[in-house]
Amino acid sequence: MLTPLDHRSRELTPNNSVAANLAWLAQPLSTAWHYRELIVAVLRRELVSRFSGSAFGWLWAISGPIITLAIYTVTFTRAVRLPVASAQGTASDYALQIFVGLMVFGLVTELCCRAPLLLHEHSWLLKSSIFPSEVFAWIAVFRALTFAGVSLLVLLTFQLALTGALLSSLLLLPFIVIPFTLYLLGVVWFLAALGAFTRDLSYLMASFVPLMMVVTPVFYRINDLPQSLRLFVYLNPLSIVIEMARALILGTETFSLLAWSAFCAVSLLVFRAGHAVFAHYRGIALDAI
Amino acid sequence: MQSEIAIRCRGLSKAFQLYARRIDQLKQMLFGSFHRFYREYWVLRDVDLDIARGESVGIIGRNGAGKTTLLRLLCGITDPTCGELSVLGRIAPILALGASFDAELTGRQNVMIGGAILGLRRSEILRRVPSIADFAAIGQFLDQPVRLYSTGMRARLAFAICANADADIIIVDEALSVGDATFQRKCWAFMESFRRHGTLILVGHDMTHLRRMCDRLIWIDGGGIRASGGVEEIIALYERASEAGDDTGRFYFETDVGRIAVNAERR
Repeated sequence: MLTPLDHRSRELTPNNSVAANLAWLAQPLSTAWHYRELIVAVLRRELVSRFSGSAFGWLWAISGPIITLAIYTVTFTRAVRLPVASAQGTASDYALQIFVGLMVFGLVTELCCRAPLLLHEHSWLLKSSIFPSEVFAWIAVFRALTFAGVSLLVLLTFQLALTGALLSSLLLLPFIVIPFTLYLLGVVWFLAALGAFTRDLSYLMASFVPLMMVVTPVFYRINDLPQSLRLFVYLNPLSIVIEMARALILGTETFSLLAWSAFCAVSLLVFRAGHAVFAHYRGIALDAI
Repeated sequence: MQSEIAIRCRGLSKAFQLYARRIDQLKQMLFGSFHRFYREYWVLRDVDLDIARGESVGIIGRNGAGKTTLLRLLCGITDPTCGELSVLGRIAPILALGASFDAELTGRQNVMIGGAILGLRRSEILRRVPSIADFAAIGQFLDQPVRLYSTGMRARLAFAICANADADIIIVDEALSVGDATFQRKCWAFMESFRRHGTLILVGHDMTHLRRMCDRLIWIDGGGIRASGGVEEIIALYERASEAGDDTGRFYFETDVGRIAVNAERR
């Protein structure tokens, strides 16, 4: 089979049928499936070297979230008490809530800070071998998800120790994780393409991310906010992810099917648009780095 | 199946975008549809090329003529600016040998990743590690970080991966000069046996090797194909032009084996 390398001309061909549209939507997925062995090989290597290069290995991945959680919990339950309803409960409940928020937020922070430099970081590989550049987004996202998974295990251990039981709704977690993964991939592709042209983007991200933390319900719940502000927080897809994760893991929120559907739609859109931007700029981005 | 086309280019062109300032690059990305912020530098222009499956083709030309860019386009390392390119079969590029290695990882770990880049499955790579180690002949160093390797050892390992990749098309870019004589002999012997069933594209300045390996030569000059045809004819033409100092013109010869037809049309 002859494989055309001109991606642009292929994408511009008009699709009318539903099947063709679905195929267009899933095209990045089929590319990733094609390179699955490569993704796994590099991911395995990155994770192993991340942990075997340091003296304490996996201990860091586990102790990191525990230390963060401990500091935030002590600060916000002993030192300063936030004037929000969710902070009035027991310290352990509030700690778990913060933990879920931090877990999701940490995932996004890591990716947002890394994505603009993603192509620069691997320029030697891209310039000297036939490495498919879009695969780096998958590797970065899966890597970040692995760390988040470790955090989740820590969280569940704590929860089990504190309450003696886990919720069965935990089994529904993949329904959030999958659209969230697609969402993150889209964001990473977009930032990586833009970041290839200017390094300013990574500086911008470094100052933008802490601001994000304030407008994301990490230390509070959306319900704590006055009605007039809720809409703004809902515009931030991260809020929805955090609320949904809290609903499934802790049962402190009610799971809104409407919010979930909206999030899925947004994720698909971001995923496909992010990939389209990346595919469009890939050629000149690789010449630019 | 000698007649089947492995590589087919039509009007293949590559322009690099030259920016006066770095900020222009961002401007181009954001407002590119309204205004052009760069100057174009055409490295390759309108290359039409068919390479049949099983053919061995040599590419010659001066430095800067566009040979390497052509190879990088064929491999898919860079995207063409315009034109069509289709490649049938798995490519193993032997371009900058060992440049894609991660210096912190061991040779063995690099083999795993290098193999995956070439499209091999994990199980296939694991099965081939002994024969890769055998070909590279770097002994204990296979389990040492690549940063401890000499340039020659890197080249050995990189070539060994490509040689064991089961590729349909092998692309070699003057890469073997770093190896010692023993290793070079081994590489040439491998290519000699590979060309019996696979497609070989060889860029080089060493006419002895080109004579030995190639069925056909392509002379790239000034970003286009200046002549293509039988090995001896092209070498004669090329050497005559080099002596006369006239190898940056943009006119076009088309030669068949045994006959030289001059296409008078200037481009």
